[in-house]
Amino acid sequence: MGALTLGRAALIGAAIGLLLAPWHGLENGALAAWPRGEASPLLALLLDGSRWWLWPVAALLAAVAPALLRGRAPGLLMMVAGAGIVAWIFLMGHAIGLNGLAWKGLAPLLGAPPPQPSLGWGALMVLAGGVALFSAGLAARGSFGADAFVSFLVCGSAFLLILFVFVPLVTILSAAIYEGDRFAPDALAARLTAPEAWSLACVTTHAGCGVVWNTLLLATLTGVISTLLGLGFALLAVRGNVRGAVAFRAMTILPLITPPFVVSLALIVLFGRTGIVTGFLWENFDIPRSRWIYGLPGVLLAQVLAQAPVAFMLLDGALRAISPSLEEAASTMGARRFKVFRSVTWPLLKPALAAAFLLGFVESLADFGNPLVLGGDFDVLSTRIFFAIAGARHDPGRAAALALLLLALTFGAFAFQAWWLGKRRYTTVTGKGDSGLPAPLPKGLKLGCSLVVWPWMAFTAVVYGIILVGGFVRDIGRGDMTFTWRHFLTGFEVEWHNGVDFRGSAWDSLFTTIEVAAIAAPLTAGLGILLAWLIARQSFKGRGTLEFMTMLSFAIPGTVVGVSYVMAFNVPPVELTGTALILIICFVFRNLPVGVRGGLAALAQIDKSLDEASATMGGGALSTLRRVVLPLLRPAIVASLAFSFVHAMTAVSAVIFLVSAQHNLATVYIVGRVEAGEMALAIAYSTVLIVIMLVVVLGIEKLVGRAQIGRRAATPTTMHAGA
Amino acid sequence: MSFTRRLLATGLLLGGTAFLPAAAQAQGNLVVYCSVQEEWCRPMMQAFERATGVRVAMTRRSSGETMTQIRAEATNPRGDIWWGGTGDPHMQAAEENLTLEYRSPRLSELHDWAVRQAEQTQFRTVGIYAGALGYSYNVTELNRRRIAAPRCWADLAKPEFRGEIQVADPNTSGTAYTMLATLLQVMGEEPAFTYLRALHRNVNQYTRSGAAPARAAATGETLVGITFLHDAVTQKIAGAPVEIVAPCEGTGYEIGSMSIIRGARNLDNARRFYDWALSPEAQNIAGQANSYQLPSNRNSAIPPQAPRFENIRLIDYDFARWGSAAERTRVITRWEREVRAGSR
Amino acid sequence: MSDVSITFDRVTKAFGAFRAVDEVSFALPRGALVTLLGPSGCGKTTTLRLVAGLELPTGGRIEIEGKDVTALAAAERKIAMVFQSYALFPHMNVLENVSYGLLVNGARKASAESEALAMLKTLGLDGLGQRLPSELSGGQQQRVAVARALVLRPKVLLFDEPLSNLDARLRRRVREDIRDLQKKLDLSVVYVTHDQQEALAVSDLVCVMRAGKIAQMGTPNALYEDPADAFIADFMGEANVIQGEVLGPNRIALGGIALDTVMRAHPPGAAQIAVRPESILLQPEGSPGLPGRIQRAAFLGQTREYEIQTPAGELFVVTPAASPAFAPGDAVSCAMQRVIPLRPAA
Repeated sequence: MGALTLGRAALIGAAIGLLLAPWHGLENGALAAWPRGEASPLLALLLDGSRWWLWPVAALLAAVAPALLRGRAPGLLMMVAGAGIVAWIFLMGHAIGLNGLAWKGLAPLLGAPPPQPSLGWGALMVLAGGVALFSAGLAARGSFGADAFVSFLVCGSAFLLILFVFVPLVTILSAAIYEGDRFAPDALAARLTAPEAWSLACVTTHAGCGVVWNTLLLATLTGVISTLLGLGFALLAVRGNVRGAVAFRAMTILPLITPPFVVSLALIVLFGRTGIVTGFLWENFDIPRSRWIYGLPGVLLAQVLAQAPVAFMLLDGALRAISPSLEEAASTMGARRFKVFRSVTWPLLKPALAAAFLLGFVESLADFGNPLVLGGDFDVLSTRIFFAIAGARHDPGRAAALALLLLALTFGAFAFQAWWLGKRRYTTVTGKGDSGLPAPLPKGLKLGCSLVVWPWMAFTAVVYGIILVGGFVRDIGRGDMTFTWRHFLTGFEVEWHNGVDFRGSAWDSLFTTIEVAAIAAPLTAGLGILLAWLIARQSFKGRGTLEFMTMLSFAIPGTVVGVSYVMAFNVPPVELTGTALILIICFVFRNLPVGVRGGLAALAQIDKSLDEASATMGGGALSTLRRVVLPLLRPAIVASLAFSFVHAMTAVSAVIFLVSAQHNLATVYIVGRVEAGEMALAIAYSTVLIVIMLVVVLGIEKLVGRAQIGRRAATPTTMHAGA
Repeated sequence: MSFTRRLLATGLLLGGTAFLPAAAQAQGNLVVYCSVQEEWCRPMMQAFERATGVRVAMTRRSSGETMTQIRAEATNPRGDIWWGGTGDPHMQAAEENLTLEYRSPRLSELHDWAVRQAEQTQFRTVGIYAGALGYSYNVTELNRRRIAAPRCWADLAKPEFRGEIQVADPNTSGTAYTMLATLLQVMGEEPAFTYLRALHRNVNQYTRSGAAPARAAATGETLVGITFLHDAVTQKIAGAPVEIVAPCEGTGYEIGSMSIIRGARNLDNARRFYDWALSPEAQNIAGQANSYQLPSNRNSAIPPQAPRFENIRLIDYDFARWGSAAERTRVITRWEREVRAGSR
Repeated sequence: MSDVSITFDRVTKAFGAFRAVDEVSFALPRGALVTLLGPSGCGKTTTLRLVAGLELPTGGRIEIEGKDVTALAAAERKIAMVFQSYALFPHMNVLENVSYGLLVNGARKASAESEALAMLKTLGLDGLGQRLPSELSGGQQQRVAVARALVLRPKVLLFDEPLSNLDARLRRRVREDIRDLQKKLDLSVVYVTHDQQEALAVSDLVCVMRAGKIAQMGTPNALYEDPADAFIADFMGEANVIQGEVLGPNRIALGGIALDTVMRAHPPGAAQIAVRPESILLQPEGSPGLPGRIQRAAFLGQTREYEIQTPAGELFVVTPAASPAFAPGDAVSCAMQRVIPLRPAA
């Protein structure tokens, strides 16, 4: 796409936004008033003088119009006009708010302007036009390989990332240097070094340690134990020559589709002081009943239950990829079996081990649900942040400072991984098929693995069994195992009464959850793949920054995201709180890193010369993307679709502040049930969610499988997958 | 509501209001932030809808979360009225000028404590129910250990209760703060802290939610749970083997409150709800919803299971002093330093 | 229209501090097959990608058929390229692959397919239209790649090491095919290879590159017979490069022994002398020439190879199999039928 085409499209879009579409958000569905009243387009507002400060927007647009209409694409002018339009709208949007002038310092210039509500459709179109003009300008000046389409994608996604990742983050973190309304950098220093974070009291006394140490300890343990367990699983599955593929497969899917809290609830039912196992041990073996599950052991157990299967997936892949011929080579050189394992297999597994550990570590840092239910007195950063904001002592500054510490830990982990792996090269793992036979596990190792793996698997089965049963009995927490439909009826009662009437108290949140997840998933997958394509296939200045921005939201704890969204998007110019849209946006940008990573991984396997071949044949970036790249990325797209859908259904910490009366979510509803002690209803609802997600994940898997096999049989006329 | 209709509505919402707040509400809407348990919130809202025809959108969150929400939304409020939840955050909201003054015609029908609550806040909040503080213990566990049944606050500090008491953390729970304030008022500040240090040795966990200890006592996860009595009643009625104690030294209470949010978009309906919620017919819903607080309207029926205030030695709780943010911070900070930091 | 297809005017492509292509200028004639030849890392592939528009230069100016394309994206250059890996779209069948370029350039589907079918027929691929690339042999894939490029009727056709994935026997046939096709269609072709034999066999012009610059450009014959320096001499087929002295026209001294030979003009004085292995005539001891002793001998069927110790240094000699054979240890005389005195390397 050429710069001129994009420039003209931008001009048309912005002109429609300026001349026709309602400039502000419609508060009372007042579209009927168009083009007057609340639904006035900007032009009308400019002419009647009520938005006189927005004249520069119209002027900038008018400045580029003549050249574009005459078929020229003036690069610099378009850049200036585009950037100017966007900057001016936001600047004025912040300066003049709902209560008139917000930046009192500007009073001499602006006087006493009327209130300016949030931006609406018209503004959106003009903003999009502004971004497009800026991109066209860049392309006309030769950036992005002179491809305006790529330029627009980069600028557009950068704009979105800044608006929905960067701005909220800065908003909340800036709270760390404020004491009330006072700017106080010393308060930040005090908060960052507070004993609540760093105290080492637990070493010498019985008091608890600083929350940073707690968090680090928990995350390290979770990382190490999950990795070791995952390794045991992988060794047994790949090299152990054992049956049970279905069991192994189920292990990998379950944690993905398990809503937060539910594993913790099951653990309490099993190991609480009046738990099933505890009671059994007490009655039969006189083992005293204790409350050990509340605290580090319980949280650790719950996190390992969730993370070990993830580690297994990673290590399974790595182990399968290690070419057996390497090991054969080592054996033919006379190495004994254990030696082969230690000197060849083990070092080659190292990067995957590091990745598995890192993932367990980072996920544990971000986990909110398990420490909330099982933490007892054991506090970690994520819960501390939540209660600093939502607790009885509301202190956003403290929460922001703790969030900074959590961010630092996460980034530290990533930096460490980059440093550790960066120093070594593992080029022996190729994608090529290999005919050698994998070396079987040394006997002792196999026995060791079996002794850990099978009991753990049984344990997992019991935990999920509890979840399954818990929804159907009266009160599993108190051991009342009378069968009942009551919990499902409370949540999901349906009445036939002039059509279907969803009376159950959970229906509203369930419908909202499915809607929001179903809308967010394709947006996440789409944007993620596009960004991956830009990052992997286009070279431009700031590519590293763009990649960093997409990955940033992965490192931000959910609670922080949620509160920052409320802070950033509650007032004009961008007013989103209380809408379903803010939930969708939150999910899209939170799950984006996974889409991008999936895309990057898939693109790494697609020869870049395919893109280039298309380019030399006259295919612009758009055609190449549509006809060549996207069809080849289909499995990756579908995978990230499934992933973002499932994640949107199980997220809780980020959205707990974003749900509203009209748009409540399943997980938040479940949290409420847990809070009120209605464990059975919480478990019943979780069961429903698990079933829905299972259907979606398996369905999607089936779909991808068929798509790949069916490819050959298709007839040539139906083969333009992207057309 | 049919699924397709909802899908359609979402589609319209996305299509029509890119940067917009919640789809506009037709005349006759009300957004309620509800801070009691869900099973009480729902029938209340349904009853109000039936009584007035106003469409209610209700969000249930704990009072702490709701307070956070209202603060965050202060410049552009989303909610109209905040119903339920312990009085402290309501009073704090009044103090921070987040809520609106309103004198309901029904004020004259209310108990004194409810009216006092309103007067202390310049009528920015009003009591809708009261619940006394106390504790419950698990009878099965008690018998198993052959411990004499506790009757007073002092009993809980005895060594045989070591590791058997659960109470919420005042940092996160209004219930726990009510307990601190109560003990300070019953015993005087210094003796109270001495007592709290002794109690601390017996506490097995400071929970985050105020009602959690009642549930824990019901399942036997702990022997004693310090909560509001009505939370314990709920457990007892559900069949849990618990006994409920109103401590002999006297105890404090919470006043569940209601406030109209400053900047409410449906102010008239908020006032309608306010008046209605103070009426006996509205307050009678509580009993049907397994909530056993004492209603604030003198004419409301008291659920037979509710702990009667006549039988409880209630102290003259000074809400004005102990509800203020400064006093609160002072007490909690001292508690953290002198009690929580100690070893167990 | 001018007779020049591609002009480079001081074109530079830098990656950071590294200059992959360093102020290169040339003008390639229309209708010619020009080979870019050089060791790996010499900048030949970058030069090709600059022509294609897959890289944009950091300095200088590029013209194709008289039009400035310096800042033009690949898609807008009206060139076509055959990739080393062929880069056939794995999710499209052969027909779709070949008609792809026509479709993205706005052709109707029916006309694109009929053109593509015609091109497949031209290249002897009829009947394979419905196959997926993975179902074709290497040679077939290569031809599909060529068909896909040719169907666009490009002004310039670019080849990036098109034969490197084929076995030796096939390589020879395919390169003949490419040459025939180029001549038949009068195409301007730029062809990148690191194989000097391949370059010599197919080119009208060979452009040898070294370290981002053009070392020498000329006809295959000129480069072979008249290399600019030792690098070219050695790169364009094997050469013995020895120190000697030019005594006058067609007279040199090697290892202190004066010899008659055939050579290009060169001022008298000390010089490096390149001698092709096949330009040395071996005769029994006593004949005129440089005396030497056979160190090693090998029989390769069509030729014999010798390593010979002489006063001028060790020489590598190739003789036809039909010529008399010598055994290691034999004393021989090496007559220099033709030598190349080298100008000092730049």
